[in-house]
Amino acid sequence: MLRPLAALLLLTAAAQADTADGEALKAMTWDQIVEEAQGGTVNWFMWGGADTINSYVSGYLADRLKAEYDITLNRVPITDAADIVNLILSEKEAGVTDTGTVDLIWINGENFRSMKQGELAFCGYTGLLPNDALVNWDNPAIANDFGVPVDGCEVPWNTVQFAFAHDSATLAEPPADMGALIDWIKANRGKFTYPAPPDFTGSAFLRHVFIYAAGGPESLLGPFDQAKFDETAAKTWAILNEIEPFLWREGQTYPTTITQLNELFANGEVAMTFNYDPAQFGIAVDAGTYADTTRSFGLSDGTIGNTNYTLIPFNSPNKAAAMVVEDLLLSGEAQLEKAKPQVWGASPAIEVSRTTPDVQAGFAGIVGHPSVVPAAELAKAALPELQADWLTAIEKGWLENVGN
Amino acid sequence: MRGERWRLIAGVALAAWLILPFLPLAIWSVAHGWRFPDLLPQELSSKAWAYALSARAGVLDSFALTAGIALATTCLAALIGVPAGRALALYQFRGKGLVTLLLLAPAMLPSLAVVFGLHGVFLRLGLTGTVSGVILAHLVPVLPYMTLVMAAVFSGFDTDFEAQARSLGATSLQTFRTVTFPAILPGLLTGALFAFLVSWSQYLLTLAIGGGRVQTLPLLLFSQSSAGRNDLTAAIALLYILPGLLILIVTARQVTGRGAALARGLGG
Repeated sequence: MLRPLAALLLLTAAAQADTADGEALKAMTWDQIVEEAQGGTVNWFMWGGADTINSYVSGYLADRLKAEYDITLNRVPITDAADIVNLILSEKEAGVTDTGTVDLIWINGENFRSMKQGELAFCGYTGLLPNDALVNWDNPAIANDFGVPVDGCEVPWNTVQFAFAHDSATLAEPPADMGALIDWIKANRGKFTYPAPPDFTGSAFLRHVFIYAAGGPESLLGPFDQAKFDETAAKTWAILNEIEPFLWREGQTYPTTITQLNELFANGEVAMTFNYDPAQFGIAVDAGTYADTTRSFGLSDGTIGNTNYTLIPFNSPNKAAAMVVEDLLLSGEAQLEKAKPQVWGASPAIEVSRTTPDVQAGFAGIVGHPSVVPAAELAKAALPELQADWLTAIEKGWLENVGN
Repeated sequence: MRGERWRLIAGVALAAWLILPFLPLAIWSVAHGWRFPDLLPQELSSKAWAYALSARAGVLDSFALTAGIALATTCLAALIGVPAGRALALYQFRGKGLVTLLLLAPAMLPSLAVVFGLHGVFLRLGLTGTVSGVILAHLVPVLPYMTLVMAAVFSGFDTDFEAQARSLGATSLQTFRTVTFPAILPGLLTGALFAFLVSWSQYLLTLAIGGGRVQTLPLLLFSQSSAGRNDLTAAIALLYILPGLLILIVTARQVTGRGAALARGLGG
């Protein structure tokens, strides 16, 4: 009775390429890894809110992976990567070390810090990917994820820089810098608000005010400094409390998610919204969510930029296939495809100058979406992202001093 | 005459009450740009439906998966709920109160509290992230409904009919097939309807036990709505209410019509 069952189990185990052992993979050549990856399935947990991104992943990427490597890409839509970090953590606590649920996750910032600190990430393999050569690891904005060294634990996918959006039909001249924005808010009662932290985008807006209050980012770089924080935080809360009565609904309440702010903007209740990925403005216009007259802009004193990554959890049973997926994501062709405005409009995480002439010509030929401020223009005034400890302190301080 | 008119007005009002909330959904699903203060969308478009019904959106796969899970859960619940309901209704045994309480517990306890404990247990059993794990988990909230409905059915059931059939030479299987089953069928369908819909609408349990890997329609719907795409959300939401409507239409006659009369006749 038991013997056929055991044989069956053995059979299915053999048919399924199990490449949970990351150390063994690291000792292999790339060709061997690609061979191991054949027939594998990659469960990729990623934010699933944009149909364009979903189509790029489940269409273009999945089709290529199936045809070229016999890899099945299973996109698992999620709303918050923090939930998935907790899922992997609970797997580790339960002793699940080689049959984890997640093979790949789209991640950055606090969630990456949690993964790294909890030793939940597969590390030290990125140099094996052939397309790793396209990545400029000498760029501190790539080699550090919100100030945390990447250390070969994740692979860059996109670079983004924070931008604001306005409807040019109702607001022709948006404010040029943070000082002007604060004045504008006070002059236009009820036409501005921001999502309360811990919303990812609302928290990023707070950091812009925080950097403005500090007189620039220079003194805030590096590890958390309590004295510096207290000094800057006092100024920040003063600014935010000063503008509060001029916010939407007199600041009695704040949107809890960026989605709510976007909806307020779409319906003309507020005059501006903002996003960490300006390509989202173009996507929203094409979807009919925003008016065609929507335009976007940066601030002359700079907006924060960051890089987002893909990461393989320590207990992924399909590490070889996940590595092949990451390598394809980095390839010039795949980066070019997602840079097209009708596909996604995402800025590349690779050095375009290191790609083939064809790919370079493709990038040069991209005509940007009229609603999306060009990345090159935003890059003229870029601010670095603060380390995660600053981030959590600002979010906590806001709740105690402003959002109470 | 007057009573009939009131009945008609009440019927129309009730139908409007039920249908009106779905009207904005239907419009949203074909809208391209519908912003305040416009009464109607700027443009109509089939793009939301085209995406929702395309293979790469995964909505149809998810629909089939959700239906499969709900059907399997319903069948398992019937296998357990029919004997359990019969035992509760017809037999006296020690600790009956406690058993009833335990059966009812999942319906009374907040599901958030249940989910965390359940996740730990399922993780150790290696059932997380699997469809069978999700089906088992769905049984927790589904079983109380099934069992209670069946207990109510059996409390109106006269076992003398079975005894008569047996005394006339029917085997126990024949007795069940020709006497018991037809009598409980309307109730069983009602219970199955509840069971299917309770399983169909599970969100938290599916998310926790399925670990995101078992993508049922409620999960997909939530991830779409939290991203602010009202047109896609509306299209998926309309697909989501389809089975409930279908089941209601198909079973309405069974539940209220001839079958029920048979049960009343038998129950005497």
